[in-house]
Amino acid sequence: MSAELRVPSHSEGPVATVRRAVLWVPDWPVVAAAVEVGIGAEEPAAVLHGRGLVAVSASARALGVKRGMRRRAAQRVCPELTILGYDEGRDAREFESVAVAAEQVVSGVEISRPGLLMIPSEGASRFHGSEEALAEALVGAVAEAGGEAQVGAADGLLAAVMAARSSVMIPPGESPDFLAPLPLDSLVHAAMERGRRTEAESLAEVLARLGLHTLGQFAALPAGDVLARFGPIGAWARRMALGLDVAPPVLRRTEEDIAVEQTFEDPAERIEQLGWAARDAAERLDSALLDAGVRCGKVRIVARTVKGDLLERVWRTDVATRAGAFASHMTDRVRWQLEGWLSGLADGPEPAPLTSLALVAEDVVALGDEQSYLWGGSSGGDARARRALERLQGLLGIDGVIAVAEQGGRSPRDRVHALAWGQEGQAPRRIEHPWPGRIPEPAPATVLPVSAPIQVLDAGGTPVVVDRRLAVSAPPTWVRLPADPRDAIARAAHRHPSSGHVGGDDGPVWERARPVEAWAGPWPVAERWWAPDADRRAYMQLALQTPEGEPGLAILAAFSGGRWQLEALYD
Amino acid sequence: MFEQVRDDRLAAARAALKEVEARVGVARDASERAWRVDDEWNALLPDGLPRGRVVSVAGSTSLLLALAGQASREGAWVAAVGMPTVGVVAAARRGIDLSRLALVPEPGLQAAAVVGLCLEGVDVVMTGDRLAMSDSDRRRLASRAREQGALLLAVGAWPGAELSLEVERVRWSGLGAGDGRLRGREATVAVSGRRLGAVRRVRVELDVDRSLGSLRGAAAETREEVA
Repeated sequence: MSAELRVPSHSEGPVATVRRAVLWVPDWPVVAAAVEVGIGAEEPAAVLHGRGLVAVSASARALGVKRGMRRRAAQRVCPELTILGYDEGRDAREFESVAVAAEQVVSGVEISRPGLLMIPSEGASRFHGSEEALAEALVGAVAEAGGEAQVGAADGLLAAVMAARSSVMIPPGESPDFLAPLPLDSLVHAAMERGRRTEAESLAEVLARLGLHTLGQFAALPAGDVLARFGPIGAWARRMALGLDVAPPVLRRTEEDIAVEQTFEDPAERIEQLGWAARDAAERLDSALLDAGVRCGKVRIVARTVKGDLLERVWRTDVATRAGAFASHMTDRVRWQLEGWLSGLADGPEPAPLTSLALVAEDVVALGDEQSYLWGGSSGGDARARRALERLQGLLGIDGVIAVAEQGGRSPRDRVHALAWGQEGQAPRRIEHPWPGRIPEPAPATVLPVSAPIQVLDAGGTPVVVDRRLAVSAPPTWVRLPADPRDAIARAAHRHPSSGHVGGDDGPVWERARPVEAWAGPWPVAERWWAPDADRRAYMQLALQTPEGEPGLAILAAFSGGRWQLEALYD
Repeated sequence: MFEQVRDDRLAAARAALKEVEARVGVARDASERAWRVDDEWNALLPDGLPRGRVVSVAGSTSLLLALAGQASREGAWVAAVGMPTVGVVAAARRGIDLSRLALVPEPGLQAAAVVGLCLEGVDVVMTGDRLAMSDSDRRRLASRAREQGALLLAVGAWPGAELSLEVERVRWSGLGAGDGRLRGREATVAVSGRRLGAVRRVRVELDVDRSLGSLRGAAAETREEVA
C-alpha cells in the first residue's frame, strides 16, 4: 500500500518550479478496461461513461471514433467497436502495475491520476546519465510489464505533461516558448481532478469566445486582471500557461502491506473448520500490527474459493478503544464473513469451499495518533453506543444489527440502503439524481418489507382495476386490509359460511371493510422496462376511515399484475 | 488552611475524573434530566423529553419517530428494536440522524436481553409492539432505563409508563377524489401519565407541507383542547 504525503493542492502562492519527467500511458481507461476484459490492445475499443465516450483506443481513433461521441454515433462509424464500462477504481488499480514497473527505474514517483506518473527528473537523470537515457529506461521497464508509455520532461507541470504527450525533452528555461503556440484546451491536461477539469474546459471555451486561442496569448494578460475576472481557476490557468507550478510534486512512499495470509490444505466447506483459522488469522494480524507499532481503521477480509473466485469485504474497526480487544473483535467479524460466504447468504458468486484466507490492514496509523476524525468527532457517547451495538451483534449475529442510509429511488422501500452494522459495501444510490415518478413527501412511517395483498373495492364491492391507460374502473370506496393474525373475531368471521367459506383453509383473512375518505392517483412507475426484472405499477394514496367511521389511517397501495398490494402506511 | 486546600484539590480531581469518564464513555453524563424540544412540541411535552423514563406511544409511528428525532437532534443515539417495518426515510425527515440510528429488526426470543443491552449504550431505544417480553421483563427494563438515563419509547401500551401518548384521531389534508396528494395531517393526541391528572388532549400537526408552509407560517401549529 502506498502512503502519500498530502500537500494542500490549492496553495496558490509562489512555488519553486520543478523540472520533472512525466510518464504518460495513452488512452489509459481503455487499456485498463481491455486488460480486465481480456481483449487485445490492437482491437478497437472505447470506454463509455454517462452518455459519451471518455476514452478511445488508438485503432478505434484511426477508424474515426472520437472522444465525447455518443454510443450510437461511434457504432455507426465503427460497427466492430467494443464498448467497455467506466470504472475509476479499476483504472487506479491496474495502474499500480505500471507504477511498480516505473519504480524499478526511479524511486519516488507521483501518481497524478491513473495514466500519468510524475518523476522529479534531476536526481534520476543524473543517475542514468541524461534525461533521454532515463526516458528510455522508463519506457523499457513499462514495456516489459506489458504496457506502452511515452515520456517527456520540462519545467513546470503543464509543459511536462504536454512534452510527454509528444515524447520530447524541453531544455531548461524553454517551457514558456514551448507552451505559447499550444491551443488553450491543453489546460485540461494539467487538471488532475474531475472538478478542476470541467472548470478548465469551461474556462477554455470562454477564452475562445473572447478571441484567445493559444496559451501564449492568455499568458500575456496581466495577472491581476485575470484573477479579478476569472477568479482562482483563472490564476491557476495563467500560472500553468506560463509553465510554472502551483504545488511541489507529492511523492509516493512504498510500504509493505500489513497482512496475514493462510492457505488451507483441505478446502474448507463448513464454518466449524474455519473457526480456529479465523481466530488464528486475527491474532496474527493483531501481533503484526503491534510489532509495526500501528493500528488500523479498516480490515479487508479476502478469501479465495476452489473455483478461483476472489471474495473481498471491508470491515471497520474501532481503533481508539480497541487496543486490547482487537483480536477477539476481529475474530467475530472474520467468522461472520466466512459464514456468509459459505452459506451463500452474502452477495457474491456461488458458495464454494474456501482455499485461502487473508486479512489486510487498511487506514494504518501510528499507535497513539488520534483517529476520531475518521467518523467525525468521536465523543464518549459515540464510543459507548458503538460498544453496545457491537456486543449486540455478538449476541444476534452479523445481520442482527443494521445500519441504514437514505438513497435515491422511487418507492419508499427502494429509498433505504441497509448494511450490517460495521460493514462497508456498495455505496447508496445518489439522491440528487432525478427519480421521475418518486412518491411525493411526506414519507410513510411504516414501510412493509414485503408488500401485503389488500382489496380495493368500488361502491358495489367489485375490485377496482387500473387499465394500461391509467383509467380507474370506478372510484375506490372500500378497502379491506389483511387482518392481524391475532384477531380472533376476524378469523371467526372468515370461517363463517356467510363470508363464502366452504371449508378448508383458503385465502387471506380480511378485516372489516374500511370506507375510503379521499384518494389520489394512479401514479404510474415503470422501472427497468428493458430488463427481465421489469416492474410496472400504479401507485395510489388512500385516506381511510376506521370501520366505525372515524377518520384515521392513510395508506400507499400499488396496482400491479391485476392485484392490489399494500406498500406502506402513513401512520 | 491545609484542609481547605485538600478539599479544593479533591473536588478538582473528582471533576476531572468525571469529565474523563464522560469523554471515554464509561459513565453517562446524566446531569440533564430531559432533552429540549422544539416549540411546536411544547404543548405535548411541556417539560421536554424525559431521560431515564418510559414513554409509550400508541397509534402512530410518525409521532414516535418525531419524538426520537427531537433527541437525535441533540446528539442522542437511537436504536429501533423489533420494528422491521419502520420507514427510514420518514425517520430521517423527522430529525433522526441516520448515522446514529441502529435497527434490530428481529430480536426473536432474546428481546429482553437486546433491549437491555441497547439501554446500556444507546440514549433512545424504540421498541416494537410484538416483542417476546413478559411484564416482569418490562418492569426490569424500565428500572434499567432509569439507572442508565436512557429513554425507552415503546409502541403500544407499556405498564407503568411515565407518559402515555395515544393518537386518537387523524385528519389528513391535501387529498381529494382522485387528485392532490397527502400534504398535512392533524392528529389529536391523548396525553396521560402516572403523575398527570386528567387526560389532556392536544392537537399536533404531524406533517407540515413546507412548500405551503410559508403561507400559513409556523403560527399556532399546536392547540390545546379542554378535555
